[in-house]
Formats: sequence, C-alpha cells, structure tokens
Amino acid sequence: MELLCLEKDTVVRAQQDPNIFSDDRVLQSLLTIEDRFLPQCPYFKHFQQDIKPFMRRMVSTWMLEVCEEESREEEVFPLAINYLDRYLAVVQTKKGCLQLLGAVCLFLASKLKESRPLTAEKLCLYTDNSITSQELLDWELVVLGKLKWNMAAVTPHDFIEHILYKLPLPKDKLSLIRKHAQTFIALCATDFSFAMYPPSMIATGSVGAAVCGLQMDRAERALHGDNLSELLAKITNTEVDCLKSCQEQIEQLLRSSLRESQERQQRLQQEALNRAASKGVDPATQSQSSTPTDVRDINL
Amino acid sequence: MCRIMSFHKRVLRSVGKGPVRRNLFGPVDRKQLQQDYHTALKQDLEEASQRWGFNFLTEMPLDDSNFLWEGVSGEKVPLVYRSSRIRRNLGFFREESTLSEASVSMETGSVSAEAAPGMLQSGKENVPGTPEKHTNNLQDLERTPVKQDGNSNILKRKQTNITDFYQAKKRDVGSSRKSGQ
Repeated sequence: MELLCLEKDTVVRAQQDPNIFSDDRVLQSLLTIEDRFLPQCPYFKHFQQDIKPFMRRMVSTWMLEVCEEESREEEVFPLAINYLDRYLAVVQTKKGCLQLLGAVCLFLASKLKESRPLTAEKLCLYTDNSITSQELLDWELVVLGKLKWNMAAVTPHDFIEHILYKLPLPKDKLSLIRKHAQTFIALCATDFSFAMYPPSMIATGSVGAAVCGLQMDRAERALHGDNLSELLAKITNTEVDCLKSCQEQIEQLLRSSLRESQERQQRLQQEALNRAASKGVDPATQSQSSTPTDVRDINL
Repeated sequence: MCRIMSFHKRVLRSVGKGPVRRNLFGPVDRKQLQQDYHTALKQDLEEASQRWGFNFLTEMPLDDSNFLWEGVSGEKVPLVYRSSRIRRNLGFFREESTLSEASVSMETGSVSAEAAPGMLQSGKENVPGTPEKHTNNLQDLERTPVKQDGNSNILKRKQTNITDFYQAKKRDVGSSRKSGQ
C-alpha cells in the first residue's frame, strides 16, 4: 500500500472571527494605539542628508516587487515600509545601506506575519547578492534595537475588515472591493507623502477609492459621494475633509501609476512588435495577448 | 477573480522597472557597514545601561542607578531568567545549531526570547535585553562556523557543558516534585 499525502502546499489562514468585527472595542483600541507606530518625523526635511525621497521610492518599489514575485501576504509589504520609515526617522543612513535596510525590513515583516517567511538567502539574491546573509542578520538586530522591538505595528490592513463590515456593501462585490483597497494601500506605501498619515486614514481612503472606483448601482445611496465619505469618516473618527483629500490623493496616485503602466506597456508592445517583425511573424497574433482586457477597472 | 488579479497586477506591476533581482545603489562599503553595525549595537547597549543603571557587560549596577539592584542566585529563578552570562559559559548561546536534543534547542529559543524581560527601553516587548547580550556572543556566533576546525575542542567542551546543564535541570524538576509531595 502506498502512503499518499494529499495536503496541498498552500497557505492556510484562520477564518474571520465575527466577534472581532462586531465588537467596537477592537476598532477603538486600534485607533487609540495606531499613532504610536508612526515615524517620529518626516525625515527627509531636516534629518536625512544622504538619502532623498526618490531613493525611498526606488527601495520601496523594489520591496513591493519582491513581495509580488514571492506572492507574500498583503500585510507584509506595508509593515516592512512602516519599519523602514520608523528606522529612517531615527537613524541617519547612507544610500548604500538603503537596500540592505529594505531587505531587513521585509525579512522582519515576513517573519512577523507569515507562517512561511522569506529566507535570508532569497532576499540576498533579490539584491543581486550585493548584501550577504550575515549582514542581513546583523542588521536585523540593529533595526530591532532602533525600533525598540515594537514590531507588531498597526497598518492600514488592520482596519480594512472593520470598515468593510460596517458598510452596506453588496456581498458579491465584497472581495473585489477588499482586493482593490489592498492594492491602494500597497500603492500608498510606495509614496512618501502618505508616510505620516495614520493607518486608519489610509485604510478609509483606500476603501473609499475602491468603492467609488467600482461605481455601484445607483440603488445604494449611502455608497455615493458625500454620503460615503461621511459614513467612512464616522467609522474611523476621521474628519470628512481630511478623508476626502486623502482619497483624492490616492486616486491621483492611481492615475499616475496607471499612466506609467500604460506607457510601459505600449513601449513593451512596440518592442515585441519590432521583434516579431524582424523575425517575420505576423504581428497581429503576437500583440493580442498583451492588449488590456478590462477597461472597467480603471474607472474613477 | 481574474478581474481582481488583473487590476491588482496592473497597478502594482506598473511601479516595476525591470527584473526584480537588482542592486539599487551600487556597491556596498563592507568595512563601513561592519563598523556602523558595531557602533549601532554599542550605542544600543549604552542606552540600555543608562536606562536601567546597569552595566550589562560586567553585570554590575552603575553607581548612579535609579534602581536598586539586588542579586538573586540563579538556582532560585526559572531557567529563562538566569543570567545569560552563565548560560553562555555553558555554551548555550553559541551552539544552538549543534544541539541534538530538540527540547533543549526549544528551550534555547525561549531563552533568547524571554531572557531579560524589560531590560531595555521598552516595557512591553520583552526581548530588548537580548540584543545587547548578543553583542558579545554575536562575534562568536559569526566566527564559530568559520573556525570550526581550529575550535573543535571548544565545541566538544561546550557540548559536555550542555549535558551538564541538562542534568542540572532534571535534578531541579525532581527536587521540586519531591517538595510538592
């Protein structure tokens, strides 16, 4: 007789506990403690000398790509960015160190959030071996010390379910809205202008942008325009104006990202066409697969 | 689901600019990095010393300490609260990987996680004491695998020490059970 293991190699997650989301104390506690995990200052202005905002964008982009490539849990990337920002707010850093720090932060966040964390070797590989595993482990200790071992930071993800739970959303749209909101959160983490915002505001703005972007049926009046903003603001005790401007910023960021992406795609398509033409393949069959398939998603 | 993914991928992939595996800011100054690392750890240790009025290297209270430090014999406290200095002498920190007994290495794990509750600035996260403690051992940790050949006799000695320690622990359990009966 043969022994078979039918267990699949997938991540198993606990089911959502409705008690957590129906009890307001959880949300209130999150709102109370979230400020503790914000960076101490907008460090580019007065503190950091060698590194510039565009370098943070470079390193955060790279971190996001690593997470995407490795299909990491959604929370890992924003949590790693939280570590990075908090570290940079207290330690003057040279740009040569920045990728190492990014890797260290991913390493830590992955260990905190995932049952199968990223390995040091893999992270070093993604830096094109510009750092060693030993350096990663050494600096892990430094980062932990500077963050005073306060690693269980509150991130926008912690608020998403609470907010979704309190909105009158159609069930069939729920997972789509959640996914879009998560995407917005990741996008915000790559942009330093969101670094000093409380996580609850980013979460609320992201859900707002996700709901607006999907343009619900007119039937649900609570989910439109000012009604939605007021409802969202009430959930996380945010001021309506702050929330609106945050949501606008997110939508702006999305627009510019999509523009970049479109330009990139066109460039790639052109290159592919050129390649195909030089090989004598019919360009029409080549280009079909890369044509955008879903215009509705970009509705704003 | 396909739609969800396509949006997600398109937005997030848009930020990417090439292969994921890449070096962002050129070569790293290894020497400087190593130096910065030691400076950072030393600074952490100093801060902890000031915070707690205690010299963690000599394990002696500072003269101007705000705390009244009182020595407690190691045998009176549970394993995890015993001085890491003693544990280190027992080779506990160094040879985690060479421990054959799973239970022992499990204990080591909990030692490094709870060794010094509230030793550093943060009260809640317990571990802060450990990084400074590690400062001393870390070099050893780094070195051991490289010098393994030359240090084989030390390795051996550490192993026996662990066994000693393990027995000592067993005795503890036995004696407490006696007193309970």
